[in-house]
Amino acid sequence: MPRKSTLSTVAVLVCLLACSKEPPPDGGRQPAHQERKSVSCEEVVVVEAEPAEGFDPLLGWGSYGNPLIQSTLLQRDADMRLVGDLAESWSLSEDRLTWHIRIRPGARFSDGTPVTARDVAFTFNRAALAGGKTDVTVLEKAVPTCPYEVELRLKKPQITFVNRLVTLGIVPEQAYGETYGRNPIGSGPYRLVQWDEGRQAILEANPLYYGPRPGIRRVVLLYLKEDTAFAAAKASSVHVTRVPQILARQKIPGMAVRSIPSVDNRGICFPVLPAGAVQLAEGYPVGNDVTSHLSIRRAINYAIDRKALVDGVLEGYGSAAYGPVSRLPWDEPQGAIPDGDPEEARKILAEDGWQDLDGDGIVEKGGLEARITLLYPTDDAVRQALALAVADQVRRIGIEMVVTARSWDDLYRLMYAHPVLFGFGSLDQTEMHNLYYGKRQGDRVHNPGFYRNEKVDRYLEQAMTAKTEEDAIAFWRKAQWDGETGYSARGDAAWAWLVNVDHVYFVDDRLDLGRPRIEQHGSSITANLPEWRWKEGTCSATSP
Amino acid sequence: MLRYLALKGLHGAVLLAGLAVLSFVLVSLSPIDPIRAYLGDAATRMSPEQKARIADRWGLNDPAPLRFSKWAGRLLVGDFGVSRIFNKPVLQVIGERFWVSLNLMVSAWLLSGLIGFGLGVLAGARRGSGLDRCIRLYAYILASTPAFWLGMVLLVVFSVKLGVAPICCASPVGVAYAEATLGEKVRHLALPALTLSIIGVANIALHTRQKLLEVLESDFALFARAQGETTWGIVRHHGLRNILLPAVTLQFASFSELFGGAVLAEQVFSYPGLGEATVLAGLRSDVPLLMGLVLFSAVFVFVGNTLADVVYRWVDPRIRLGGGT
Repeated sequence: MPRKSTLSTVAVLVCLLACSKEPPPDGGRQPAHQERKSVSCEEVVVVEAEPAEGFDPLLGWGSYGNPLIQSTLLQRDADMRLVGDLAESWSLSEDRLTWHIRIRPGARFSDGTPVTARDVAFTFNRAALAGGKTDVTVLEKAVPTCPYEVELRLKKPQITFVNRLVTLGIVPEQAYGETYGRNPIGSGPYRLVQWDEGRQAILEANPLYYGPRPGIRRVVLLYLKEDTAFAAAKASSVHVTRVPQILARQKIPGMAVRSIPSVDNRGICFPVLPAGAVQLAEGYPVGNDVTSHLSIRRAINYAIDRKALVDGVLEGYGSAAYGPVSRLPWDEPQGAIPDGDPEEARKILAEDGWQDLDGDGIVEKGGLEARITLLYPTDDAVRQALALAVADQVRRIGIEMVVTARSWDDLYRLMYAHPVLFGFGSLDQTEMHNLYYGKRQGDRVHNPGFYRNEKVDRYLEQAMTAKTEEDAIAFWRKAQWDGETGYSARGDAAWAWLVNVDHVYFVDDRLDLGRPRIEQHGSSITANLPEWRWKEGTCSATSP
Repeated sequence: MLRYLALKGLHGAVLLAGLAVLSFVLVSLSPIDPIRAYLGDAATRMSPEQKARIADRWGLNDPAPLRFSKWAGRLLVGDFGVSRIFNKPVLQVIGERFWVSLNLMVSAWLLSGLIGFGLGVLAGARRGSGLDRCIRLYAYILASTPAFWLGMVLLVVFSVKLGVAPICCASPVGVAYAEATLGEKVRHLALPALTLSIIGVANIALHTRQKLLEVLESDFALFARAQGETTWGIVRHHGLRNILLPAVTLQFASFSELFGGAVLAEQVFSYPGLGEATVLAGLRSDVPLLMGLVLFSAVFVFVGNTLADVVYRWVDPRIRLGGGT
């Protein structure tokens, strides 16, 4: 990792260096100042991350948004509400163990075969066995009851299973096999016509799709690294490409910066137990004598000026985060605190007996100095900048954070005993559940801080076993702050969440992106690809 | 010759077996958890049951010796296993990427050989001149320059500042490698090949120079000079064959450095070949792919060294193969 990071850092520097010079007015030698090429109404070129395993939903393709080639039972609309896609109606039984789903008749796969309940059942049963990036293990069995009705029986109540209905693309039973990921057949808005591995994939509108025709018939997904993609955008070879925040100030003629809100968050996980309170089988150290003090964790949360982090580190492309689900319907707004308040932070410390008696600028209590190590992964410049800025902010209230970069291998060993700057963010509430659930204490990246609050656990369990997603939301929110306790900064302050990082794209001025969906850690802008279109009169009708 | 090849083949087989065991042990000791590397941040949403499924799919639950014997057993019937990253047979991954890397390595190899030898001869023939000093300085600087750093410098100068070379990849954006024209391929190859060739140039130039000096100081060169032969005449008629030997040795023995250098050069230029696959396989603990690549590169280097032996014989008939002088 370190080498890769050095390379990309240097590459970014190289870019900055090259671009910081004002180009000569006549266009100069740089190839970037040509007229933008004319575009065809029928084609758009988008830079994406490549699914190296192929386009197989059972191994995780589409789990970050929209499988595009396959269709799903449900979808989330731009307001995060659940709406039917393949499913016409859906309901969960009274015992919360069986989903009854009726799918639309008349849907066909791109090879012409009809989509039936058998295919849906096959997809879920097979996914439950597949060792991929989609977790359907709670499924007991999927049973087709009628040609267009299917029952999904669960081993235990789990409301977050609804996210599988949203993300798991339905595959045809007849055409599924080992090589499916390279020759996917689905009932989604697009079909895969070509995949040159390591370089690009080409999608075309699926003529048999039951929904509205996509606004742009042909999509070229280019698989480029960030710095290369930026160069390609300047050479006007691509229409949409993501860039790191620091490049957002650059100008590319004919392209505008578009910042897509996301739940892609960054936050500091605190070990909440004192050192040595628990022994791990692997022998890794657990607990931290400083961060096990609630006052320290709360003071840090109050001292951090999140707005300054957004403006200073993210160039304004982001928002303050007070929890792992800021911006989502299941976020509890009461969990947000008036931050950037060192006075309040000092008060919290003083009330708990933290004082700077020896005059070294660091508070102590009972001989223990408020000195902690904040770890972040080596290959991430944004987290480094965030960590340094946070350390600077908390130093003013007498807490010293020694900011240290480590490899992920080291972080996974040290995260039980030291604060680590993590990045998560998902539309699936399972993530929030796992980060704070007491029974997940120390289960790797599930709750590495060993946080446990019985009341919070109860809310999380109630949410998990709720009848509907709306019902669950009330409990998800109570787990954050119920007026007395909760995991948020107002309560136990188990984490110090910092920011949500917007995903920043350069987008061709002539392209209308519709209403992009809120993004997640690792997701892409293509979730609403079928809504994209070229603006009136900006494209030529000739096919590419 | 037959006996030589048989011995060499046996030697190779033992080498590969030993290498397989050694690399498997090393990979097993790697701190990278392949499941964690595979899941990335999705790990937060995965139940322990799902992680167990992934371990099952990859056969991670067996103890290491059993895993090795299973892998080796399949290898004997030609099955290298399935790459975890690419979810397809390892041989297919290597096969596809080898051709991309081969172009790079062959051009770098030829470049370094020709440039290195040429510079060495020039420096040796003009010993002590300004030209000689320049070439030596150039060689020393190259010898102490990491290839990846040089690659980045070339990238800055030619791709970013001058805009005359592409910034990455083996073919233009949006064009499949197989469909790219020869001109496009060469354009994309130029900087990576130049970077990779640098590794060999200094070595060959300095050794060739040294050898040429020996030749020029020898009795037969003195005799030739006494008969009125010019320096260049001596080089041409008496020198070349003699001084070719170190160059050939180095050149063929450099297959290992070539392969290692390709890993770095491909990384810098985002050139999608074997080197890039090796880095990926290592970082994500894709054991089947990594083992396949290790064996493949070992065969590659082994063939290179064997070729060196054979070429010796052709260059200098006094050398006999198979020992027994």
